[in-house]
Amino acid sequence: MSPEPLLKIEGLVKTFGGFRALDGVSLHLHPGEVLGLVGPNGSGKTTCINVISGLYAPDGGSVIYAGRSIGGEKSHRLAKSGINRTFQSPRPFLSLTVRENVELAAHYGDPKPGFDVDALLALLELDGYAGRPAAELNSAQQKTLDLARAMATEPRLLLVDELAAGLNPAELSRMAVRLRALAGSGMALLVVEHLMGFIDKVTDRVVVMAAGKEFFGGTLADATRDPEVIRVFLGGGHHG
Amino acid sequence: MLPAGKPVLTGAIIAGIVFGLYFTLVGLGLNLVFGVMRIVNLAHGDFLMLGGMAAWWLFTGFGLHPLVAALLVVVVFVAAGLPIYYLVVPRLLRSRDSEMLSLILFFGVSQMIEAVTTIGFGATERSLPPRLLGVGPFIVLGTRLPKAWIFSAAVSALAVLLVYLYLYRTRLGTLTRAVMVSRDEALATGIDVNFVSAVAFGISIALAGVAGVFAPFILGSITPNMGVALNITAFAVIVVGTLGNPLGTLLGGIIYGVSLMLMQTYLSSWANLLPNLLLIAVLLIRPEGLLGRTVRRA
Amino acid sequence: MPDIASGTGKRPVRRIILDAGIAAAVVAGMGVMRGVYSNELMLFNFIVFLTLAQGLNIIYGFTGYLPFGYVGFYGAGAYGFSLAVMHLHVPALVGMAAAGGAALVLAVILLPLLRLSGAYFAIASMAAAQAVYEIVANPDLESITKGPYGVSLSQVFAPAASYYAALAILAFALLLVVWLRNSRFGMSLQAIRDDPVSAAMAGVSVVRGRTIAWLLSALVAGLVGGVFAWHISVFYPDTAFDLSVSIFATVFLLFGGATTLSGPLLGVFILYGIYNAIGIAVPQYFQFTYGALIVALVLFLPNGLASLLTRRGIRVP
Repeated sequence: MSPEPLLKIEGLVKTFGGFRALDGVSLHLHPGEVLGLVGPNGSGKTTCINVISGLYAPDGGSVIYAGRSIGGEKSHRLAKSGINRTFQSPRPFLSLTVRENVELAAHYGDPKPGFDVDALLALLELDGYAGRPAAELNSAQQKTLDLARAMATEPRLLLVDELAAGLNPAELSRMAVRLRALAGSGMALLVVEHLMGFIDKVTDRVVVMAAGKEFFGGTLADATRDPEVIRVFLGGGHHG
Repeated sequence: MLPAGKPVLTGAIIAGIVFGLYFTLVGLGLNLVFGVMRIVNLAHGDFLMLGGMAAWWLFTGFGLHPLVAALLVVVVFVAAGLPIYYLVVPRLLRSRDSEMLSLILFFGVSQMIEAVTTIGFGATERSLPPRLLGVGPFIVLGTRLPKAWIFSAAVSALAVLLVYLYLYRTRLGTLTRAVMVSRDEALATGIDVNFVSAVAFGISIALAGVAGVFAPFILGSITPNMGVALNITAFAVIVVGTLGNPLGTLLGGIIYGVSLMLMQTYLSSWANLLPNLLLIAVLLIRPEGLLGRTVRRA
Repeated sequence: MPDIASGTGKRPVRRIILDAGIAAAVVAGMGVMRGVYSNELMLFNFIVFLTLAQGLNIIYGFTGYLPFGYVGFYGAGAYGFSLAVMHLHVPALVGMAAAGGAALVLAVILLPLLRLSGAYFAIASMAAAQAVYEIVANPDLESITKGPYGVSLSQVFAPAASYYAALAILAFALLLVVWLRNSRFGMSLQAIRDDPVSAAMAGVSVVRGRTIAWLLSALVAGLVGGVFAWHISVFYPDTAFDLSVSIFATVFLLFGGATTLSGPLLGVFILYGIYNAIGIAVPQYFQFTYGALIVALVLFLPNGLASLLTRRGIRVP
């Protein structure tokens, strides 16, 4: 593991009105590493991803990506510089075809020249629907398309927001294999997830969040033995 | 020549507050519909114009006092509002972008009303004699105002009060507020959301109608094509207040009335610019505060 | 491996040829009609609405923003042309540049409106058009704009030249739409319309895309306004800022089907054709009919005539 993290967040703060959705979160992530971000609903996991991906500007703290501060930078610039994400409920371009969805990201997202859209569609088993409008896909396929759109920009950092919800066990394990393969290719992944089985399969370590800040970092196995974590989840965080 | 001095300023502000009460009435119904249904009734100004035409017709044809006309307008408009609601709104609310589509749809309704009124009444300006609502000036803090203004403002204040009592003191009003908080939740708890909304729609256009009855006294005259400008005015009022909060309209109405009077006092030939600029300015300066909930909800 | 070449093969070329063919046919047709049909003003008005409907298509069809105050750019163009001709005594073609310039300046001033979501944008744009009208028609500015009394531009009156200029603007607007329908940029606009957040994550600059579409759309309306002033040569601010210009363009576009090339064309030919065939003795009958048509379209056919085919998976040019 390289000594310098790809992503380094220090004391990140985001407020909405008077509510501090992020209250000084710090975490870091190395290339090729998969970090799970877990915590109860409303603990700020998705807000964290939204800030890193440029949807919101932070109100305090710093986001350092590849050695440079990116807090408040516009999403499309971040996408071009190698940060991408999926959405909790997938957001494909419904009036475009599946192929156009991916082609668009491959054009504007600055992947390496010669990026093969069709190979990506085949890899994610979307090739059979390439010419169909995205609106015709079912929700699991739309999630896959969301991932394809993100991958078409060849990110170095991929933020994955609740990818597992709504997938059946077969789709789940396929998705886990895909994410591990991405990490194997050197991509850093930040995975927000409720399904602990999925977290266990996919991540190298986890950060546990509550009330807008992190309070545990380590392996999932250690997290499940930590009394503080158990208290926060009120026994809800089943392992496996 | 600019009028100057403190009495003029005080006068403008007092007249502005009186006008503000009237403009509260102009915007109130629009905001009620937005709050309950999250749609924009862009024919609001045309319903107002219809109320004015009704008052003119009832007075010139039957000699009825505007106050009687106002009562008749309330009954007829509430009764008309229910079928209009059931004909278009439920179907509209099922569409993907109902807020935007409502605007286009009621734009069409607005055109229909304007056309029918022009065919029926002609395009000429109509007015009513101000003495109907009292002769001579009424003096407030040294400012002389026409009695007709005071009368119109008093009726407006009464209408606003009645809407408040309806929303906070009646069972149907409570249900209406529940629908305003969340249409889905209200539906889930078994509230007849469509009936509650239909009544709100009826009340909304009745409020516009009453404002129309007094329009000849406040705005000077009425014409079939006045609806578009009034829609912008009404929208400016409710955006300056708070969208979706009917009682916030009072704030918007007063701010609008006072700014209008100040413009008419010091920059009279540019006063028509006011609603347009005020609307754009507020939309741009406070978009999150006023529109935060409604931006791209899909 | 299934056939995945369908999206990349010959079809896009065929699509472009079909789109361009339709555009060329319409422009040529309107050019030939002038020699065949004697009512030039009516043909000119057809060109005006064919162009305005496509101009509106650029912003509504591709970004989802519907400016009710679209006529504001048309009026700005008409007055940009008139002021340049009246005060600077420039030739008509320079006046046309001023028309486009005036609309672009107004569009730049109104750029912040694009921050608003749909309904507020529509109303704010209408308020903006009204505001420009109030300024232009203000008696205080009579020495500059002639206020409410209207302008007369007899020195540049040239019915034939202005007709062909209008035709050139129509060709320009049609080419813009053909380009948007067949380019990555147009695709990126549709992506923004579908989901701006997701589009940004695809690397698309949402602000840049919307800005370009807005400026192009305004430019088209401004040029049409300018050529209207040139062709008519005597007009009042009430005509140049008549809200029914917006209404007509909107109805034609919605009726035919936004985002397509042929939809707005059909909308104009059918609806404006009927309008002219029956005559305009009592305009209110049309106002009523168009109002009713808008209501019916929103309720029953929100994506226009074209959607009758696209719904069945048939691509409409």
